[in-house]
Amino acid sequence: MIDIRNLSRRRFLELSGAAGVSLGLSQAGLIGTARAADPLPAVAEEDAVIAFGYVGPTSDEGWTWTHEQGRQAVQEAFPKAKTIFVENIPYSADASRTFRQFVSEGANMVITNSNYGDFMYDIAKNAPETAFLHCDDRTMMDNMGVFYPSHWYPSYVTGVAAGMMTKTNKLGYIASFPVPTTFTGSNAFLMGARSVKPDATLQVIVINSWFDPQASTQAARALLDNGADVLFGIMDEPGYLQVAEQRGAKAVMLNTDSRKYGPNAYVSSIMFDFRKFYVDQVRARLEGKWTPGQYLLPFGDGTDRDVWGETVPADAAKAGDEAREKILGGWKPFVGELKDNKGEVKIAAGQEMTETDLYNWNWSIDGISGL
Amino acid sequence: MAIRIQRVPSENLGGGVAARLIAILLALLVAAVIFSLNGADLGALGAHVLKSTFGSRFGLMDIGLIMTPLILTGLAVMIAMKVGAWNIGAEGQFCAGAFAATAVALFVPGPTVVIVPLMFVAGALGGMVWILIPTLARAYADVSELITTLLLNFVGVLLIYYVATGPWLDPSGMSFAATKRLPYDIPSFWGDVHWGLPIAVLLTVLVAAVLNYTRWGYEVRIAGSNPSAARYAAIPFRRHLIVVMLLSGAIAGLAGMFEAVGTAHRLQGGISNNFGYIGIMVAVLARGSAIGVLAGALLMAVILKSGIALQTQGVNISTVLALTGLILFFTAIGDELSHYRIVRSKPA
Repeated sequence: MIDIRNLSRRRFLELSGAAGVSLGLSQAGLIGTARAADPLPAVAEEDAVIAFGYVGPTSDEGWTWTHEQGRQAVQEAFPKAKTIFVENIPYSADASRTFRQFVSEGANMVITNSNYGDFMYDIAKNAPETAFLHCDDRTMMDNMGVFYPSHWYPSYVTGVAAGMMTKTNKLGYIASFPVPTTFTGSNAFLMGARSVKPDATLQVIVINSWFDPQASTQAARALLDNGADVLFGIMDEPGYLQVAEQRGAKAVMLNTDSRKYGPNAYVSSIMFDFRKFYVDQVRARLEGKWTPGQYLLPFGDGTDRDVWGETVPADAAKAGDEAREKILGGWKPFVGELKDNKGEVKIAAGQEMTETDLYNWNWSIDGISGL
Repeated sequence: MAIRIQRVPSENLGGGVAARLIAILLALLVAAVIFSLNGADLGALGAHVLKSTFGSRFGLMDIGLIMTPLILTGLAVMIAMKVGAWNIGAEGQFCAGAFAATAVALFVPGPTVVIVPLMFVAGALGGMVWILIPTLARAYADVSELITTLLLNFVGVLLIYYVATGPWLDPSGMSFAATKRLPYDIPSFWGDVHWGLPIAVLLTVLVAAVLNYTRWGYEVRIAGSNPSAARYAAIPFRRHLIVVMLLSGAIAGLAGMFEAVGTAHRLQGGISNNFGYIGIMVAVLARGSAIGVLAGALLMAVILKSGIALQTQGVNISTVLALTGLILFFTAIGDELSHYRIVRSKPA
């Protein structure tokens, strides 16, 4: 378990010196077919410009903060290179303008952290010598690759703990948009909970933003009013944890250890660490070895759950940890029979969902409402 | 001899223009002071901004593309002001226009020469429908259009999010919270800059000509500045109010249509980009003049484009938003001040 906030420099260097991240995704899946592209030419470190595009503010203590740690690791690993970043990029034509600005400022590599592939497409087409890497998207090109953490495993693990802790058997989930990552996160969480409480249900509220503390707070209140007693979500900020704290409920968070915002409510967090991955990718680009790939940060190495919160009962923590150990040992939790929330069997009994299926999950399992 | 400060009912043109220029300079000065207090190299930042805006082909193209919707939303707010109405809802009308044009693009097959004009009409109609209820409520029940148009903005934005993430979501999964790439396009005349820009400019000139040189325009202006006097002069205030407000909605709808079809090439959640709200600023800066709308839209486009360029230099986007707020703030003060003049008079 890596505590990414207190990671020592030595430990970091150990990590970044390790072998490249394993390729988790099937090359023939929905994400696109394999690219047999030639590597982009090498770039001298002192000439290199690496640009980062963020969906939120670096001060969000969440998703963008986590990626910003990756940028800082790149800067530390390649001190002569220039790194630049832009925060709060909207999902509008402004996103493409920002990426074109990166290219016009000489970026050799552009890394973006949330679903910007479509906005990068035209820019990447006209900048064949710039490497583009985007997070949670589905566009592949000769100079554009994709990466994402396999968050469904820790979501399942924390779901097990949530299942042990819920008294109402009602869970709540604050979603950004109805996109695969929120389907996967909420499905995995409920499947974990149902492994110990088969009657558990999950209500979802979609707020159309990754970072809107006001909307997420309102959604959290509504979910608790409807009887939920453990919350989960895909927010880039800790707003719903504070609501849970005030209301005596529990919350599982995402991205970072945010227990200080709700020490009694905090269950755990799905933790991400992009530093090693970013340093590896930038190194490959500088050395002239970069080709576009499809990467999943595996469970236990860049994706994990945080140390359990103070008030998590021992049996809940134990059940969660047992699930975690089983998954790390190769057990697959996402196996049929699975029905969608309209009653149709989508995954036949015994059928195992692949990583590609999990990455592209776009329907809610039975027991989920609101998504 | 005593010096008095006297308030006059109408400001003169020179005063208004001077107030704006001084306001912009003051806002830039305040920003410069804050930047240098934070240790920024003003010369380097300035050079970077100039290079990224007027100094490069991409910079100029972006300014053209950002200006296009801003001219139209600015014009929409401006003409509503002519008849004495505050259309705060250009944002919602923009969304409705984008929605209607996208519906045509997605569901009406046909040759481009037919579909593009059809999208144009749909965009205008969409905006018009969005302002219809506030217009009728204002005209017949005296309900403040300021509130009703504003509230419908939220409905408009949510409508876009609903269709873009729900029924119209790109089935290939390639785009995020957006429809598939629309099969029709507004032709471009320079790089990425499409014919929306000249059409927006032309429309502005046309509206200005109608307002200033026709009997109808004269009546609208009278009705807007003094409804009671207009009624006394047998000018049909209500009819003019309804027509102008619907026109205002239609123009804002066109802005949405051009943005969706010409610039974004798809309907996406964040499509409005606050262009509706920034249009209010453009209209305020324009002081009811069409040339002013063009100048205001150019200024805001340069500021927005500079914002993108400044961010790669470590300047926070909030700084740029604050800058636009400062300009509006100083302009409001300047506008009020330009109503005053200094009078020297001999004691009696």
